[in-house]
Amino acid sequence: MTLAALTTWLEATPLSQAIAESAWLFPTIESVHVIALTLVVGSISVVDLRLLGWASRDRPAGALIRSIVPVTWGAFALAATSGVLLFTGKPSSYAANPFFLGKLALLALAGLNMAGFHLLLGGRLEGLTGTVRAPAPIRASATASLLLWVGVVALGRWIGFTI
Amino acid sequence: MSTSVGSHVTDVLAGFAAWLGKTPLFDFVAGVAWVVPALQTVHILAVAVVIASAAIIDLRVLGLVERDQPLSTVFQRFLPPLAGAVGLLALTGVLLIAGEPTRAIFRVVFWIKLALVATAAALTWGLAAGVRRWPGALGGDRSVSTPLKVAAASTLLLWIVVIVAGRWIGYAVAWAGAPQ
Repeated sequence: MTLAALTTWLEATPLSQAIAESAWLFPTIESVHVIALTLVVGSISVVDLRLLGWASRDRPAGALIRSIVPVTWGAFALAATSGVLLFTGKPSSYAANPFFLGKLALLALAGLNMAGFHLLLGGRLEGLTGTVRAPAPIRASATASLLLWVGVVALGRWIGFTI
Repeated sequence: MSTSVGSHVTDVLAGFAAWLGKTPLFDFVAGVAWVVPALQTVHILAVAVVIASAAIIDLRVLGLVERDQPLSTVFQRFLPPLAGAVGLLALTGVLLIAGEPTRAIFRVVFWIKLALVATAAALTWGLAAGVRRWPGALGGDRSVSTPLKVAAASTLLLWIVVIVAGRWIGYAVAWAGAPQ
């Protein structure tokens, strides 16, 4: 199925029409999206800043990640669901928007970065206590994560001005 | 706002908006297309810092995150970034208003949002003060009192409602008599 076929099919669904026609549905879903995405970005920043040694230095990195990341995942599930619903309301407008496509690309990169971090670097977290400096690959991954999420927020905001 | 008090408020705000529109700040924010989305991006990032800090503080009081950390330590770690981000929100908020003086300040939901921010901030710092006086705060004590838990849950809920009110500014219409 091509992207054009997908958006045409989506637009014909009752859900898409309900979101497009309602005066309050879109802003309500948008509010949920903002709550969820700010929780995602904020909680990931807590972890990234810890890995970079800029905050929570007295907290062992592994314990911090185990405590905070479930919140991140819960918020991410909500952000993704509300994001899909927003897309469903105006599928062809989003699909044609370069900032939306760029945001998806940055999200994919952020996901890859996170998967790589957990698969390749997760085992090196346990020694990260006190002022021990994280190994360079961990700091590089944390920096990439911060930059990618700032980019996701910026592109998300730019969608609002160009759609 | 059809009362005379209401129209007086509108007049005062309209005077303020007209003055703002003649300042160099207005030219800076409104003059270049990318400044408003850039300011909004910083505003949202600051919201992320506030909501994540508030969530960690309040969820810790509820015993859901950072359970093995003393309450007082969690407050020490997350209250400063929360305060700094509220300052950044005020700054970017003022700049956004300067760029569009006739928008937010003539919408009821904007003033509701400000009142909610003040309440949520007061509750957050009240909670910090309450925790400081509570002896269990210094240990890894998990048995937080019920009133403290209710206060924490209400505080987090209030910060969430602030976000909803903020999003609604973009959709609300100006009250009657507001300048166009």
